[in-house]
Amino acid sequence: MDARVINKGQLPELLDRLAKDYALFAPVREEETVTLFKKVAGAKEVALDYTNSDVSPKGCLFPQTEKTFSYIYTGDSLQINKNEDVQNTVIFGARPCDVRSILSLDPVFEGKFVDDYYAARRQNTVIIGLSCNKVLSTCFCNAFNSGPCDGTGSDLLLTDLGDKYYVEVNTDKGKSFVEAYGQYFASQGAEQLAKAKEELAKTLEGQFIRQVDLGGVKEVLDENFELPYWDKVFKKCLGCGICTYVCPTCHCFDIFDFTTGDFTGERFRCWDSCMFPDFTLMAGGHNPRPTKKERVRNRFMHKLKYHLDRYNIAGCVGCGRCIAKCPVNIDITAIIKDLKEVGQNA
Amino acid sequence: MHNPSPLIPYPATITKIVDETGDVKTFTVEFDDPEVMERFGNKPGQVAELSVFGEGEATISITSSPTRGKFLEFSVRRVGRLTSVLHQMEVGQKIGVRGPYGNWFPYEMMKGKDLFFIGGGIALAPLRSLIDFVLSEQYRKDYGKVEILYGARSYNDLCFKSDLFERWPKCPNTKVYTTIDRPEEGWTGHVGFVPNYVEEVNPSPENKIAIICGPPIMIKFTLAVMEKLGFSDEQIITTLEMKMKCCIGKCGRCNIGSKFVCVDGPVFSLAQLKQLPPEF
Amino acid sequence: MMDIAQQLREQAKKLLEEKKVDLVIGFGEGTELARTTPVFVNNPEDVAVLTWNPFCANNLVKYLTDYSHEPGKVAVVVKGCDSRAVNRLIADNQIKKEKVVVIGVTCPGQLDWQKVAAKISPGVRLKEVTDNGDSFTVKTDAGEYKFDKKDYMLRRCLVCENPNPVVADVLLGKEQPVKNYEERFAEVKALEQLSTEEKSAYWDKQFSRCLRCYACRNVCTVCTCRECVFDQMKPMWVSKRNNLSENTAFHLIRAFHVAGRCVDCGECDRICPVDIPLRKLNQKILKDLGDLFDAPTPGSRPDLVSPLGEFTTGDPEEFM
Repeated sequence: MDARVINKGQLPELLDRLAKDYALFAPVREEETVTLFKKVAGAKEVALDYTNSDVSPKGCLFPQTEKTFSYIYTGDSLQINKNEDVQNTVIFGARPCDVRSILSLDPVFEGKFVDDYYAARRQNTVIIGLSCNKVLSTCFCNAFNSGPCDGTGSDLLLTDLGDKYYVEVNTDKGKSFVEAYGQYFASQGAEQLAKAKEELAKTLEGQFIRQVDLGGVKEVLDENFELPYWDKVFKKCLGCGICTYVCPTCHCFDIFDFTTGDFTGERFRCWDSCMFPDFTLMAGGHNPRPTKKERVRNRFMHKLKYHLDRYNIAGCVGCGRCIAKCPVNIDITAIIKDLKEVGQNA
Repeated sequence: MHNPSPLIPYPATITKIVDETGDVKTFTVEFDDPEVMERFGNKPGQVAELSVFGEGEATISITSSPTRGKFLEFSVRRVGRLTSVLHQMEVGQKIGVRGPYGNWFPYEMMKGKDLFFIGGGIALAPLRSLIDFVLSEQYRKDYGKVEILYGARSYNDLCFKSDLFERWPKCPNTKVYTTIDRPEEGWTGHVGFVPNYVEEVNPSPENKIAIICGPPIMIKFTLAVMEKLGFSDEQIITTLEMKMKCCIGKCGRCNIGSKFVCVDGPVFSLAQLKQLPPEF
Repeated sequence: MMDIAQQLREQAKKLLEEKKVDLVIGFGEGTELARTTPVFVNNPEDVAVLTWNPFCANNLVKYLTDYSHEPGKVAVVVKGCDSRAVNRLIADNQIKKEKVVVIGVTCPGQLDWQKVAAKISPGVRLKEVTDNGDSFTVKTDAGEYKFDKKDYMLRRCLVCENPNPVVADVLLGKEQPVKNYEERFAEVKALEQLSTEEKSAYWDKQFSRCLRCYACRNVCTVCTCRECVFDQMKPMWVSKRNNLSENTAFHLIRAFHVAGRCVDCGECDRICPVDIPLRKLNQKILKDLGDLFDAPTPGSRPDLVSPLGEFTTGDPEEFM
């Protein structure tokens, strides 16, 4: 497809315009150490020198807390008002792994019952990806046939090449976007930058510390639900929700009502975590995943097998956040390696 | 009125409440917009999400057969926050209903066969939708002999008493066996646990499908009896219960392995269950 | 440091072989250079997995409550800060004293692994660490690096109260000096200087990015409630909605719930995935308890009761 060039000097102006025309989500630095995707009012708030955000941009499409409807129930009449709060949105600066994660979320929210909250947002969102300029020690997107400069899923993919961004236009949506903001997207010089991007991609691909080979892992899990291995892994788990909340592909949620006790109320859905005991606890007291062991197993089975079985796409994109953030160093790449060994020794 | 969002319930009104046992009530519910019922199209064995506004939602099996009329019935045991509030509600009050969800009893496959229903406690509720379906005037001819074996802890714990003792026994080629766990003054029927009673009744597996629903311990012992009687795994159908929230296969909690009980279940044959990880 | 690791393994082996304990909870090599991971050793032959280096940040005392109802005794490796939690758990009757064997290790401070990882590729292997007093020399198979403690240590370690464990059945390592302890409330004092509006704005900004992953609660050694108020469904005090008001409620309720019991190990602060400075909340309470009741840090002596759990006639009443 088409390729363009953005001069870095023009980017602030473009971002300012986008913030006016769209709900613009972009990486924002807080307290010098944390990068989050937030809605911004202009270029000034955007942090472009980040490696990967601490929390993924999935919340731009699937907010952590989302009102699904409000109701007024007076006893005689019941009125339900759906929350139709969908804005035209641009996600700017999403890393390739996080964009891939959206492709992993899509089939969950599509299907026989289309989740129209997600679908409406997805449809009205332009995704501007941003190639990585650095591979972190926790990164392993290469295990999923992706890479630091992979544009899959992005409408536009920007690559930082010094004083310019090389822009790949990957979709029709991207094309119309570039047309609409034509003054910022030069055609000239794109060809030379294409080569520079190729080289950057090649250099970065050599920087992965983790060499993760998924071959055979799913087969081990297909064959074995009970593995003594899980007895080793779960003990150190604290049962917190970090791994699931920083994960760009985790999509579990809870639904409940909020009322102040009068005739009105609202229904919400909120991210939930399969690491929490009450996630599967039934009202009668039975819990099919009663201990940390079952919960830890379920999470890894979900990432490495169940999601693949259901949607034919992995439930992990190798962003490495769960590795970086787990307080007790539960490391999915180590688990993949161990499971491979289990398979080889079987 | 077409409802575009699967997470939005349809307003409905409670039109009748029957006290089944000390902690089970059956709610008859009618949609405020009759057109919704026309399109609802629930099949026996499916579930729905009931909204009690201010409390949230709970997944409840639809206990009425679509053949019985333009209403839905839900038998609800008072176990948690939402069901406690629901139990305090009165006729005329409004709840929300969305659905129907999940798969259904394979009633096409059952055609021409004898059916042996085995239920315990509140778990007769999902079976009742199929029982009434096959006993309906419209479909009765499609099925052979219908036997219903049902037990509960005591007489007071038996759900659907008018069905058990009046309506169903009057149906053609139908037999109802009822049992309670311990002897009780005034009870002249059978006393004993469900699995033992099944063994006594000794149903032949010949051209028969058994549909079993009950507490896990009852199912476990009953399955052992069925195996002894010569029923194959394909001849045994059951339904599973899991914590569900969205009921549309997205919220992630009701999975057993790669299957979601809310969309791939709740009805499974024993043969299918044996393919799943034992995590339910 | 490597000597201490060796001594640790020997002690663990002895305890397991002599059946004095059934389980040793210690630190093992992590999956990256500057990290360790909790390990659970049941078999004397497996003690080689135990290690000791300045990346042993976790407070392993947290795991003791997982074993409080299981038969057998448990040995746990603790630093000075962690050891306060042992005293606290015993005082709170969460674990029986006779069930625990405390392997104390004196601690020259822990390095912030992320800061170190930014300097050395975390893919290389750690060979040896030497403590030079004001710095650590970290030898790896990719070379030797020196890290000044003042720049690379965890903030909490710069003002450590107990570099030497306050309780230990087995004590390893040479005694460490207490440094800069008097400066430990510097950050809290700075916050106290702000106006009410400024304080409110500061905390609003922090709490608004909370993910409600509950890691701060789950890592906390004194969070031992069987059913946490935040998990309770009936009544639901705090819902799962992520918004400033409920996030604030969560953090403030938690801070007050551990008031007088928080041993100031700083783990909540260290592990927060969005860097909410939670220790400042706990330290504010700690400082006030010190000012009001002359209360030492909870757990720093075995006989301490919570200043909020007892009444004495000398208690100040100004706030009543």
